[in-house]
Amino acid sequence: MMFLQKIKKITGLTASIFLISCLLFKCPFMLYAAPDDIDKTDSVISEKQPESAKRSDEAASEKTLDNFEGVKAEEMSTVLASAEEKRSDAYEDVTSDEIEFEEGPRIADPIESLNRGVYHFNDKVYFWVWKPLSQGYKHVVPEGIRGIFSSFYENIKAPIRIINNLLQGKPKFAAIELAKFFINSTLGVGGLRDCAKECFGIEGRYADFGQTLGKYGAGFGFYIVLPFIGPSSPRDGIGWLVDWTLRPTTYVSADQWFSPQSVGLYMHEKVNDTSFHIGEYEILKEAAIDPYIAMRDAYVQYRTKLVER
Amino acid sequence: MKKCFGILTIVLMMMFPIYAFGGIPFDTVKTNVNNVLEILSDPKLKGDAGKKVKEQKVEAVAEKMFDYIELSKRTLGLNWNKFNQEQRKEFVGLFKKTLKDAYVDKIMSYTNERVNFTKEVSLSDTTFEVQSIVVTKSGEIPIFYRVIKKENDWKVYDVIIEGVSLINNYRTQFREILGNNPPETLLETLRKKTGKRQ
Repeated sequence: MMFLQKIKKITGLTASIFLISCLLFKCPFMLYAAPDDIDKTDSVISEKQPESAKRSDEAASEKTLDNFEGVKAEEMSTVLASAEEKRSDAYEDVTSDEIEFEEGPRIADPIESLNRGVYHFNDKVYFWVWKPLSQGYKHVVPEGIRGIFSSFYENIKAPIRIINNLLQGKPKFAAIELAKFFINSTLGVGGLRDCAKECFGIEGRYADFGQTLGKYGAGFGFYIVLPFIGPSSPRDGIGWLVDWTLRPTTYVSADQWFSPQSVGLYMHEKVNDTSFHIGEYEILKEAAIDPYIAMRDAYVQYRTKLVER
Repeated sequence: MKKCFGILTIVLMMMFPIYAFGGIPFDTVKTNVNNVLEILSDPKLKGDAGKKVKEQKVEAVAEKMFDYIELSKRTLGLNWNKFNQEQRKEFVGLFKKTLKDAYVDKIMSYTNERVNFTKEVSLSDTTFEVQSIVVTKSGEIPIFYRVIKKENDWKVYDVIIEGVSLINNYRTQFREILGNNPPETLLETLRKKTGKRQ
């Protein structure tokens, strides 16, 4: 009984505070709306209330979710179909401002037929060599060890991020990446774990030279699919080469730019990385109507975002 | 006692419509995604039978979460107007099936990745971007959901994974086909694609 009384008191109090504040300031719960929402709140409320009263089909669509417990597939599809039927007005024409045309970035593809050839070559290389190799590797090397390798390779690539952050006019991030490198190389035992992030929550910033060129206004040029490496462009290809010179692993052999050791390490890095991502390319391919175009577009969107960031 | 409940009911009733509209895009997306994660990690659903039930439940959430018509319109862009009513309906159905076929397996293979919702960004009066980060063993993947206000709800019309927008990706592919072909060709391509996986 004591307990109930307490509840009563508390609810009574809350309710009165709520009511009073609602009268005075309209409603305290507005504070929880996103900042952008606050100034629109009034109009939203006034147009919402009558609408919710007459919307009975809203309840119908709500039901679809509540009832899915133990429904058979056929039953569900008919329910879903009827819910869709109700919204047939949604199938009207569209206008360009209605769908706020956000055109994605595009890339010229003057050597498409050659690119498609290389794409198919890479596709075969993936399924015949890369994937089985990574799967075998994944099978043999425990996840913990593969994680350590990932951290190690990320850490020694710090020069790429430091220099490119500097070149992109982001000295703060260059400093952060430098600090990360020191912390991970010492406390993280030679970069075997990302202690900077795990212990101190320090977030770095990815940067590469292709992105740097983009920041200075260089466009992609055109689309080119490189054998073994995949989607690229003259800009990002040059970027990749410059970044190669910033990799400490390049200098394990003093006399060659592409020594067997450095290329071997690079390949191990890639296999190790792929072992975490087996199945992703397959999904992209499965989801695509034209995998070549899907890949090209994903490349352009991804790289453009990196430059804009 | 009765009075206590009475007041409680009033409070709840007052809160409800506010909550419903506030819908706060952020909460809507978060709730839906968490629902999916809950279904996937449900220990009661095991084996092949359990997997089937899981799939159906996930589909039901997806149905509530996404607006496939909006998604289709934005993917086709102005090409949507070249389709007649029947073709539009068929397209929405086929496109939905294409997405389902491709992503349901990936979603089912979820293995305790953590999803952190970070923030929401207003894009326009009726659209928001809800940002999340999926933490996997090998790194973090930013996944952003674009939502649009439809009646009383916020519906997802685009998903942006690591800066790659799903609808933009499909738009490029569809534009290529619709550039020199009638809508029927695209529909036929989709029919073949979705038909082969049954």
